[in-house]
Amino acid sequence: MAFERFTRDARAIVRAASQEEAQTQGTGTVQAEHLLLALSAHATLQHLDLDHDRIEQALIQEEERSLASVGIASGDFDGPMASAAPRRTRLATSAKLALQRALVTAQRHQDRRIETHHLLLGVLAADHGRVPRALEIAGIDLDELRARL
Amino acid sequence: MSTAPPAVPDDPADALAAVGALRRLADRVEDAAVARAVAEGWSWAQIAEALGVTRQAVHKKHARGLAAANQKTGGL
Repeated sequence: MAFERFTRDARAIVRAASQEEAQTQGTGTVQAEHLLLALSAHATLQHLDLDHDRIEQALIQEEERSLASVGIASGDFDGPMASAAPRRTRLATSAKLALQRALVTAQRHQDRRIETHHLLLGVLAADHGRVPRALEIAGIDLDELRARL
Repeated sequence: MSTAPPAVPDDPADALAAVGALRRLADRVEDAAVARAVAEGWSWAQIAEALGVTRQAVHKKHARGLAAANQKTGGL
């Protein structure tokens, strides 16, 4: 991944996705939804009113529904949440895809640098996975959001 | 009342999302189980054999997080 073309803010988002969002959820695997959470909390995108807590709740609901669909009630496992201890981190495929799509978006806009709004467009470009499912649960209109970027 | 075991959701998107959710749940169970085993003195080799994976795999996945957790709490 060509991080040298990322602006300082865009790099900060990738770092926050890993060190704050994924780590808080007790995983070293950075997924597209962790990028989305980091983006929603970032100063450069506050005008979009992406509510970090609302997205976080929607992701929890998405998980509960998915488990329920195969017969597991949430709360069946009463173990502790995975520890938020620092661990080896790696970008999962969904996050890599989002970053690649951000790159393509910046190229299409003929922007040399990859900025935070390119990252968000890259994350929102996913047709499948937890990001579109959680956004739907949160009642966030993807087309309307994309149009504002 | 007898309940039939749930079938795989009809919509592939829902069925695939369920797989992801189960994997994340399994990871949580694994974290808790490995931490418990280490606290009770199991070796990495024993844990690996019980999980059916290599010792290297289980060590790579858990050693660092457990060490950090121990440091934070002063032992399990």
